[in-house]
Amino acid sequence: MLSYALIAGVLFGLYFSLVGIGLNLVFGVMRIVNLAHGDTIMLGAFIALGVVTLAGIDPLFAVPLAFVVFLLAGVLLYWVLVPRLQGSSNPEMLSIILFFGLSQVIEAVTTIFAGTSERSIQSRLLGTVFTTIKVKWFGGTPGRGGPIQILGQGFPAPWVIAAVTSLIAIALVYLYLYRTRLGTLTRAVMSRRDEAFATGIDVDRVSAVAFGIGLGLAAISGVFAPFMFGSITPAFGADATVTSFAIVVLGSLGNPLGTALGGIVYGVCYMLVQTYLSSWADLLPYVLLILILLLRPSGLLGRRVRVA
Amino acid sequence: MSLETTPILDVNRLVKRFGGFTALDGLSFHVVPGEILGLVGPNGSGKTTAINVISGLYSPDGGGVIFEGRAVGGVASHRLVHRGINRTFQVPKPFMSLSVRENVEVALAYGRADGVPPAIDALLEEYRLADVAKRPAADLNSAQQKMLDLTRALATAPRLLLLDELAAGLNPAELDWIADRIKALAAKGMAIIVVEHLMGFIEHITDRVIVMNAGKEIFEGKLAAAVKEPQVIEVFLGGEHAA
Amino acid sequence: MHNGFKHTLIILVPLLIVFAALPGVYQNHLLLFNFVIFLILAQGVNIIYGFTGYLPFGYVGFFGAGAYGFAVMVMHFQTPAVAAVLVAGLVGIALGLLLTPLLRLTGAYFAIANLAASLAVLHLVANPALENITKGPYGVSLTGTFNPSFAYDAALVVLAITLGGVIYLRNSSFGLALQAVREDAVSAAMAGVDVVKMRVIAWLASALVAGLAGGVYAWYVSVFYPDNVFSGEFSIFAIVFALFGGVATILGPIVGVIILYGIYNLIGFTTPQYFQLVYGLLIMGLVLFLPAGLMSLATRRGWHVP
Repeated sequence: MLSYALIAGVLFGLYFSLVGIGLNLVFGVMRIVNLAHGDTIMLGAFIALGVVTLAGIDPLFAVPLAFVVFLLAGVLLYWVLVPRLQGSSNPEMLSIILFFGLSQVIEAVTTIFAGTSERSIQSRLLGTVFTTIKVKWFGGTPGRGGPIQILGQGFPAPWVIAAVTSLIAIALVYLYLYRTRLGTLTRAVMSRRDEAFATGIDVDRVSAVAFGIGLGLAAISGVFAPFMFGSITPAFGADATVTSFAIVVLGSLGNPLGTALGGIVYGVCYMLVQTYLSSWADLLPYVLLILILLLRPSGLLGRRVRVA
Repeated sequence: MSLETTPILDVNRLVKRFGGFTALDGLSFHVVPGEILGLVGPNGSGKTTAINVISGLYSPDGGGVIFEGRAVGGVASHRLVHRGINRTFQVPKPFMSLSVRENVEVALAYGRADGVPPAIDALLEEYRLADVAKRPAADLNSAQQKMLDLTRALATAPRLLLLDELAAGLNPAELDWIADRIKALAAKGMAIIVVEHLMGFIEHITDRVIVMNAGKEIFEGKLAAAVKEPQVIEVFLGGEHAA
Repeated sequence: MHNGFKHTLIILVPLLIVFAALPGVYQNHLLLFNFVIFLILAQGVNIIYGFTGYLPFGYVGFFGAGAYGFAVMVMHFQTPAVAAVLVAGLVGIALGLLLTPLLRLTGAYFAIANLAASLAVLHLVANPALENITKGPYGVSLTGTFNPSFAYDAALVVLAITLGGVIYLRNSSFGLALQAVREDAVSAAMAGVDVVKMRVIAWLASALVAGLAGGVYAWYVSVFYPDNVFSGEFSIFAIVFALFGGVATILGPIVGVIILYGIYNLIGFTTPQYFQLVYGLLIMGLVLFLPAGLMSLATRRGWHVP
């Protein structure tokens, strides 16, 4: 039971890293708390739903689609909202309120179009593309898409697929930040925004792309949300934002790769509480968030000051 | 000029570290009432850190600060204000959305030192803020914000005043004018510590200077004598600090 | 306090008279009651956000805790309603005290931590394991104290106290010092202000206000579920109303509540998502085009707004 909880915790943890990493990237680059982050995740889930119900294909195809759509949406949104915000007297406080407003708009519009009922996707649909390829190229019969064996225990296939996708996505974020020119500039802006301005870096361009990538990553994590949490509703966004914040703060705010650690710690705690103290599991993200903020304000990895 | 001889402030082997960096490394000096003491030294020599420790922004990691016979190292800033220490900031941060007058009113209402606080109108008049008294502090230019910061400090009637680069950015006429104001305050018995880069200004107003380097005192005495000391010349002209 | 007296006379007294008289001429008493509740909550947000700069995303936590404080007293101790409302206020203060460490956080950290705290209290109250005390997720029914007209009067008293507090803040050096702390804590300390003490006082005052409001609300509605009294909409509405009018003024939050909550009820949205859409857009428009609220239209022209 313990080893099951631990392995499941790591699988969920990798997924939670993906859930939080976009929020952290946006904060790290822009010092803006994107309170509509959870709503982007929720929209990603609806893209997966759309892919399944309209096109009838593997929801995995929603991953690139969600990323591209939200990358573009993010860049556009950045240019509409952020420059005006940064001209104001208290951009940080106003950004919280602004993105809170945006999250309300997203939730409302989604509710208007999709209703409030809970939606889910049959978990066997995820990953059918792999079985199809296997059958086409190597012959044989389609499997039943049952659980995947890890260390002698069976775990639902979507958990494993989500964890692997998350790992790939995080690795790509790493490559972007450390192996591309724009990524290097992004890191420069993250560490010293003022100086980046002074050295002639096009901070707005770097930020716009980072914002787009942040939303794109959130949307990808949303694709898996129906499988990881059973079902989703338009109201899912608010909880997802708080959870993401807890994960990000655990890792350390402003350090996107720290989020990977935060996600795993969070995932393992989540599974342990689910297993041993299930009636209190709802309290976990909130209590964990408050404790971390108060006891270890810089996160498990970071050193950034957030205290008055 | 005759000075009282009992120090109002006695800084004794003060140490302040930030992580692995030692900003103050056994700094000692004293000030007597009515004296204007200059703290000079290259950037990073610990002048502002010294001011921050004396005004309670940082707790010292070693050594002591004695003000009017009582140890005040590590005492909270607002308590030090009540005991008679105040300061200005290199980059003043007035209460931007409050009016100039309200900025000073807060200090008058909450900053009661034992002395008699000056009348607010006279204070605003004296520091050339009377015309803008009703405007929000955000409307002031940076020189005016510095004067507001000084006015805020003076409203608490301090007996020890720490001025952190008050003169930087003022034009020559303003410099003469503020030098006269500072001297007038000292003449009434206020002890004043001035951190400044403008050597002419320092020479004009101070009775004595402490030259600092790497968190330590390397010279104490008249500025005119300091500039003849090889060690001081080395610090100011040698190495990377040559300017 | 000459101005304070004037403000009491021209704002507080007329407002109370109007809301005391309205139930006689207007049939929808629940609506009037909700107006009074939002007037209280918007001013509570004003105290902590307007004067102190902390954005309380989880403000409803105090409200819900107050409502449950009331319910527990009535259910388990058969306390008279008025005493239970006072306990509700104390519960608000107690929760505020418990959360004072959050004041070490700034900006977004505080806002999110506060939101998390309110959700934690909700999940605690609604936990089936605590059914014996709070009735868990199954809700409470307090028919014994049911008396809407007394509860309405009690709400007016709480409103009067709250407004009195805000009038004091607007006209005293205490309120000025709070704003100084909001603008710059270091400079405020150098003006002799005890920054920590001021923040805690403002925080507890706004917690008290919300706790009392929650108690009165529980008294008025008498049957409710955790999700009702911990609904994030209380926080959101209170913040938006206060911001819309303009914080750190007496009049701003009042104008905000009357205009926005008035419009909300006039249009009579039958589907909440349309209102959510409208206020979402409103919040965004507000931040982008009128960040200091309606009252700033007047102050920009140099007029003094109480």
